[in-house]
Amino acid sequence: MKLFFPTTFDADAGGHFGPFGGQYVPEMLYPALQELNGAYNVARQDANFERELLDLFQHFSGRPTPLYFAENLTRQLGGARIFIKNEGLNHTGAHKINHALGQALLAKRMGKKRLIAETGAGQHGLATATVAAKFGFECTIFMGEVDIARQRPNVFWMEQLGAEVRSVEFGSRTLKDAVNAAIKDWIATVRDTHYLLGSCLGPHPFPSMNRDFQSIVGLEVREQLKEYGVDKPDYLVACVGGGSNAMGLFNAFLDDSAVHLIGVEAGGRGVTKVGEHAVRFGAGRPGVVEGYKSLFLQDSEGQIQPTHSVSAGLDYAGVGPQLAYMHSRGRLVMHYATDIEVLAALKTLIKTEGIIPALESAHAVAEAIKLAPTLSSSQSIVVNLSGRGDKDIFIVAEALGDEKWKAFLKRAAL
Amino acid sequence: MNAIIEKLNDLQHNECTGLMTHVVVGYPSLEANVSVVQAMARAGADFVELQLPFSDPVADGPTMMRANDLSLSGGTKVADAFALVRRLRETVAIPLLLMSYFNLVHSYGVEAFCAEAAATGVSGLLIPDMPIQEEETEKLFATAERFGLLNVCFVSPATTSARLEQIAKFARGFVYCFATYGVTGARETLDPELVTYLERTKLTLQLPLAVGFGIKKRSQVEQIAPLAEVAIVGSAMLDRYDTLPEGKKLEGIEALVRELKV
Repeated sequence: MKLFFPTTFDADAGGHFGPFGGQYVPEMLYPALQELNGAYNVARQDANFERELLDLFQHFSGRPTPLYFAENLTRQLGGARIFIKNEGLNHTGAHKINHALGQALLAKRMGKKRLIAETGAGQHGLATATVAAKFGFECTIFMGEVDIARQRPNVFWMEQLGAEVRSVEFGSRTLKDAVNAAIKDWIATVRDTHYLLGSCLGPHPFPSMNRDFQSIVGLEVREQLKEYGVDKPDYLVACVGGGSNAMGLFNAFLDDSAVHLIGVEAGGRGVTKVGEHAVRFGAGRPGVVEGYKSLFLQDSEGQIQPTHSVSAGLDYAGVGPQLAYMHSRGRLVMHYATDIEVLAALKTLIKTEGIIPALESAHAVAEAIKLAPTLSSSQSIVVNLSGRGDKDIFIVAEALGDEKWKAFLKRAAL
Repeated sequence: MNAIIEKLNDLQHNECTGLMTHVVVGYPSLEANVSVVQAMARAGADFVELQLPFSDPVADGPTMMRANDLSLSGGTKVADAFALVRRLRETVAIPLLLMSYFNLVHSYGVEAFCAEAAATGVSGLLIPDMPIQEEETEKLFATAERFGLLNVCFVSPATTSARLEQIAKFARGFVYCFATYGVTGARETLDPELVTYLERTKLTLQLPLAVGFGIKKRSQVEQIAPLAEVAIVGSAMLDRYDTLPEGKKLEGIEALVRELKV
């Protein structure tokens, strides 16, 4: 399997995807990005690197992850066949391990001693702490105070894995502030530290590099569909926070215009009010923040606006530059799902298929539930189930108002 | 001639080290900005950096971030910074520079921002996250120059010789040198590699050097005086301002500027 391949949607040498992307960083970070870009360009042409990474994918993370035909859900909705790419069955529970392994290998090649990362839901932090433990890096994870409060299980495990979890107590205290804190740390520690950025965003080469490390998802889907007698999917559906799971699913299909691509953003508590959602496509406009140009939720002056989502991983004001570019070229359609729709989709998938999705991934499921009945039974949809839902037990139980869970918490607190 | 270049010429002529101080626009208030900048100028500051508050100031330390946050929650707008410059121009003669993260400039429009800055009497721009490799797209250096503004280039100890050669093509007036690794914030000692770094930078760029990040004591300014033309003091000013009681603040800022002026 060839992990690294070109598409007509790739960035130029400076990391520009049309008008988006680039490398808008303070001069202190420029040498580190050059070093990383150099190491990445060497690695992607090195058969040994590819072999090593594919070996880790298989033996450490448990790839390939299943492509599962959701027969019950398909029957219930009465339309297109729904397939679920179950990235939740990866080691550490989500697709984040894919780029964490890729970057850890690169960091080792560059002789770095320490990994730092930002995290929202905690899945990327967990994946980073995991590879740090495996490869023997020191590790610091930056996480917003709000996210620490709502994702305690991941924090606990990151600490058990030997990482220091640093609470970010400025700004909105969520994902974007964790990115800011990680960049600040990197500026101060750039000589021996690799910033293991956790999505297809940030300054070049992160968007392209993480996309390449995630492309395994779509490559597997293409092969696995053949087992079901499907030549190619009609629709690919993925949730979009920064865009790593979406780019992972989409990349292998970008140049096949017969395959429709749908991204799903966090509609939160409704998209009409600032601070209640994270719908960048529509409500956002071009800006330059955190080292890259893309669509950002910002006010008329360019100040970044607060966001909300029931899922910490989609609660972010910016979006990966390649997705903004694909959307501007008409290659990508963006929809959103509200918190309420997401919880309903989560319950539906659990009851019909016995699969517990992460809240982030449940956004994609919600879209598939809307889409499938509008299509014919000869068509197929692949939903990227980017992570499993174990981490969300506290949020979901509270959102569903489960009395027995409340009683359990009360007893446990004694 | 641009007022910054005139000032640099004066400094060279008088054989003294320039001092660039810093305020966050709207922190703690626009009124306070006026009296603080007046006090700085009175005490001998040669340049003042006026920082536009931003929601996501990636290169700033905790002291600055707090000031950014408080200014924004007080409702400070970009237009307030321009109004502040207009007011200061009536009473303060030293060159004023606007420091901003690029998103605010981008949002305002590079052309409109430069035009307004020049019209209000700003002499230079400091935009740390708009590096030279994005100039082809953004045209910030070219537009600033057209309006008679200096858009200042940055270098760091990790900047390679090849990169310095690239920067040399864009650098005008002076170069902003980060003195140590790290985000803004007062630190105890200067980087031991500072000498070679500054010498190397000067050799390639052939321009006056302004050294920033971490300066808070006279002894540090004295250390860099033989190597650089301007000392930049940001966080230490803000720290001093924050720790002094009301009524003593302006006096304290003046005293600090006098102490640091070499």
